[in-house]
Amino acid sequence: MRGFEFLRPGTLNEASALLATGDAAARPFAGGTGLMLMMKTGVFSPSRLVCLRQTEAEHRAITPTGDGGARIGALASLSQIEHDPLLCRLAPVIARTMTTLANVRVRNVARIGGTLAHGDPHMDMPPTLAALRASVVTSGTASRTVPVEALYAGYYETILQPGELISAVLLPDQTGWHSVYLKCTTRSADDWPALGVAVSVRMDGTTITDSRVIISAATEKLTRVAAAEAVLNGATAGLAAFTAAGEAARAVETIEDARGSAAYKTELVGVYVRRALQQATGAGGN
Amino acid sequence: MNEIRSISAKQVGRDVPRLESRQKVTGRAEYTHNITLPGMLYAKLCRSTVAHGRILSIDVSAARDLPGVHAVYTGETIRTLIAEPYFGPAFHDQPILAIGKVHFVGEPIAVVLAADPYVAAEAAQMIVAEYEELPAVFDEVEAMTSAAIVHETLKPAGTFADLKHLSGKSNTNVALDYQLRRGDTDAAFAAAEHVFEHEFHTQQVMHTPLEPMVSIAEPGDNCLTIYTASQSPSFVCTEIARLFGWRENQVRVKVPYLGGGFGAKLYIKLEALVAAAAMLARRPVKLSLTMEEQFYTITKHASTFRIKSAVNKDGRITARRCEIFWNGGAFADIGPRVTQKSGFTSPGPYDIDNVSVDSYALYTNRPPAGALRGFGIPQLVWAYESHTDLLARGIGMDAVEFRRRNLLREGRPQATGTLMHDAAIIEVLDKTAELMNWTAPFERGEGVIRRGRAIAIGFKAVVAPTTSGAIVNLSADGSAALYMSTVDMGQGSDTAMAQIVAETLGLVAERVKVVHPDTDVTPYDMATLGSRSTFHMGNAVKLASLHALEQLGAMAREVGLPEGTNYEIRDIFLKKYGMQAGNIIGVGSYVPPYTSPQKGTGLSDNVTPFWMVGAAGVELSVDTETGHVTIDRLINVADVGRPLNPAIVATQLSGAAMMQLGFTLFENMDLDHGQVTNASLADYKIPGMHDLPTVMDNVIVDNNQQNGPYGAKGVGETATFGVSPAIANAIEDAVGVRLTSLPLTPESVLRGIRALRGEKLEG
Amino acid sequence: MKFDGGFTVPAEREIVFARLNDPHFFASCLDGVSELVEVDPTHFTARLATRIAYIKFNFAISVEIAEIVAPSRVVAKSEGTPLGIVGRLTALATADLQASVAEDGSAQTEVTYEIDVSLAGKLGSIGQPVLRSKAREMERSFVEKLHAAFATAPDGTVQEIVS
Repeated sequence: MRGFEFLRPGTLNEASALLATGDAAARPFAGGTGLMLMMKTGVFSPSRLVCLRQTEAEHRAITPTGDGGARIGALASLSQIEHDPLLCRLAPVIARTMTTLANVRVRNVARIGGTLAHGDPHMDMPPTLAALRASVVTSGTASRTVPVEALYAGYYETILQPGELISAVLLPDQTGWHSVYLKCTTRSADDWPALGVAVSVRMDGTTITDSRVIISAATEKLTRVAAAEAVLNGATAGLAAFTAAGEAARAVETIEDARGSAAYKTELVGVYVRRALQQATGAGGN
Repeated sequence: MNEIRSISAKQVGRDVPRLESRQKVTGRAEYTHNITLPGMLYAKLCRSTVAHGRILSIDVSAARDLPGVHAVYTGETIRTLIAEPYFGPAFHDQPILAIGKVHFVGEPIAVVLAADPYVAAEAAQMIVAEYEELPAVFDEVEAMTSAAIVHETLKPAGTFADLKHLSGKSNTNVALDYQLRRGDTDAAFAAAEHVFEHEFHTQQVMHTPLEPMVSIAEPGDNCLTIYTASQSPSFVCTEIARLFGWRENQVRVKVPYLGGGFGAKLYIKLEALVAAAAMLARRPVKLSLTMEEQFYTITKHASTFRIKSAVNKDGRITARRCEIFWNGGAFADIGPRVTQKSGFTSPGPYDIDNVSVDSYALYTNRPPAGALRGFGIPQLVWAYESHTDLLARGIGMDAVEFRRRNLLREGRPQATGTLMHDAAIIEVLDKTAELMNWTAPFERGEGVIRRGRAIAIGFKAVVAPTTSGAIVNLSADGSAALYMSTVDMGQGSDTAMAQIVAETLGLVAERVKVVHPDTDVTPYDMATLGSRSTFHMGNAVKLASLHALEQLGAMAREVGLPEGTNYEIRDIFLKKYGMQAGNIIGVGSYVPPYTSPQKGTGLSDNVTPFWMVGAAGVELSVDTETGHVTIDRLINVADVGRPLNPAIVATQLSGAAMMQLGFTLFENMDLDHGQVTNASLADYKIPGMHDLPTVMDNVIVDNNQQNGPYGAKGVGETATFGVSPAIANAIEDAVGVRLTSLPLTPESVLRGIRALRGEKLEG
Repeated sequence: MKFDGGFTVPAEREIVFARLNDPHFFASCLDGVSELVEVDPTHFTARLATRIAYIKFNFAISVEIAEIVAPSRVVAKSEGTPLGIVGRLTALATADLQASVAEDGSAQTEVTYEIDVSLAGKLGSIGQPVLRSKAREMERSFVEKLHAAFATAPDGTVQEIVS
């Protein structure tokens, strides 16, 4: 087996420097749950792995921000997020989503930063966080803040530059918002989803004042469906608006795979967007 | 500790916890994967990338030059050791490593040996092979007439008694064509009130034992020891000895626990390769397959079944014609047995005077197919029970009533002419209907959720004729050890057999030691397959125990004890030897009577020693907007004779039903030009805990298998029979959609719903 | 994996056919193709380098023009070997060209294509979902580049008719 370097820097900046080599086969290593699968199957052979687990403790912390939101360190494990009292209060959709995300052994090891940076469109956390209007903060020479839905460039592709690491996830205040993530599998219950739908709706009485509709898994990359949001914003919450939003969401380009044809996934998009909105608002029946 | 004899043993019929459960949950149970030997080399394979082709060259130089590589062998190297390195249970069609030609994507063409498995794996990727591509055939029906011929000549193995009739045909892909003719089907169809004809398909799936296949060979002085995760140690021993031209006693095969088998680890798989490699390298060699590689090793037959029935105005089936095409893949493995043994039950458990069956085992350029929990029966029941529901629907009769009118009853001749005995077919049907509350109104759902229910019933004849042998060693302290070659792969055979020993000898089952298969030590057994062990080995174990008991009685008489003495075993020994010494060896061997079917007609007056009967009752909900099916209730009803261990029987029933549920709803090997494209657990999904039906009942009907050990018979496959057709029938009941191809995916359900409305999914 | 589609080119069929049969033009429309060598008029070799996220794939490719029916049909068979791993890429591509007349009366050509790509070996058994998306991306980019090449023609635009 071709050998590789395994480095354990003590700071995230050091880690960034070790990864900014121009060698695409040098990769950061957080939980390793995604990377190890690729390595074990022989699809990916790294030249260098930079372990992030010994970096500063702040990257594992979950703390309130002054404005009613939360900051989640990129190296917080999924279990830590699942059971964090602050997050459970702020956005209970996260803990609910976790219960069908992989299994407890994976959640104990996988880190939120890696989950977002892996770029696999079948993951559950990216659409959930995108619907919650979360953004990521990156480290490295040119630190920036990027909305989660803008992080993805394609299938397994992100906009992150070599050496640029996610250092934290910023979750804004969720007051007045209602969020739901629905995972649709078409084979076993623990399969990768054929479709993931995350919605967030902000209500003023029965009027929808703002919304987020995010599609994943059925598309090449996580997709925010502005057309569906446009239908919702200003509309009265109810079956008519939700059905129309589902219809609008059908315009996303779905891709065929072993979990279903593109046409079938388009059907699922329409149904699941409507159902997610019904569940999020408790309006329009079930 | 001395053993206490209990006068009223009550060891059979008791829920004895599995003997090995503590070892397993504490991680102490022995598996082949855990074995390492001094000087051992790891083997990794290079596999074919074409489905059918002539090998022009195999360049192993880069692999051989990689530091750490001990050796690289190809089929030509193997030939320096074994002139004809082909193996297989039915035909000698499988080369240890490809010679001259490759027959499917994934066929092993070279093996790398290294002390470090990662070095071996990397070197295997450096081997470069060139092929001249030949036309390939993948579909079983096309294989009947295809110009692409997978094997130019066929070499029948002649090893198994039930496969003696195989004859090789040249220039065809038909490995075996089995026929059954009874009565006059043409006349019956001509005179029929109603005639129905349908075609059903099943997909290629995999056994997916969570312990992938693994074998180790340790060379000795003109001898070999093989440690292997095999369901058939005796056959491995015979076949390795044949390949090397040795006596059987030069080959020792040892099998510890298996992490699942389901038919994947039958006959001979990796053993010939590690044996040859170990003899060439003069070092122990271990080959552990990855999960991916299991998809290239053995699978379940895809099939096409054309079935046609005549029904008279009273709702009686008067004639049935069955044509079945089995997609055997590149090597026959045990496909001919599937074709024949399953073929003769393809008309179903029905009393039909005029029957015609044609069952074809076909070679194609897919990964090989063999036995998988049911030996072809689940594919057949899927078709004939879907068909049976369509018949009942077609004549407007209740599905249970229609079956009740047509099922075989005690003493009636089955399609082969064999009279039915001890097969509780009607009882299983009635119990299923009763548990379903069949005559009561059924909640059909509303809105987008529609509910349906249905049943299906199937049966199977155990493979015959087969032999089992057992040895019971009674020690001077009164403890007993059982020596047998039945493999405990999770089904609980160690426990059940210990119960038979304990029951017969008046001991406590938990204290009987079971010695695992070791061909130097344990006697011959045909294999652990086809639900045969409880009956065959159970009878052998009982005979061996009775033999020991007989000797114990003689010993008691010899020391002057009266008939029926309540002296403990150790006291009888003490009286005989004057100290704790000596032992009694009881031996038993069992082979049931059997009449081979006549060539051409397939008829036999004794085609099997026992029948297994299983039914499934299903209640389900269909989401009419997405096609998703939720199994609200699954009832598995089985005739298992008298259960030796009801708790283990229940787990066998639920396990088999869940496995079949996966094959029914989603499992599917995706193939693209012969390449399996989902060869990992990430992309090939098997059922998990969340896929369990909301309610699942496992129910045993009261029956006694008169020739079985303590009235028992096999159970491992029975609950697979009815699951697929019961679900398909219930889907039609719920939403009117009839699906004829497995798996029954949500997409196929939704497409069916839309088609009923005259709509199509876009795209 | 099968892909099909089509587009309309605002040029006469003979011209479109000639360009599609020029291997250098053809290769220039494919991302990652280099070292094109013409073995004879119907056989070519090349290298294909592609990347999915941080995973690189390199193939040595040989192409055979299996059928030419000027000016309406080209069938090409390609075979590729990934470097450093046992595997095999095969592709059968068929392009059909049909002459038609645009609304303004000028000559145009409707091109429909069908590509059947398969990948054997480890990449085929495990990397399929990833490679499928890459192949689609390459297909899209190929069509775009073809469009661009013909769209630079002095008159008219290129319109996609099927996707």
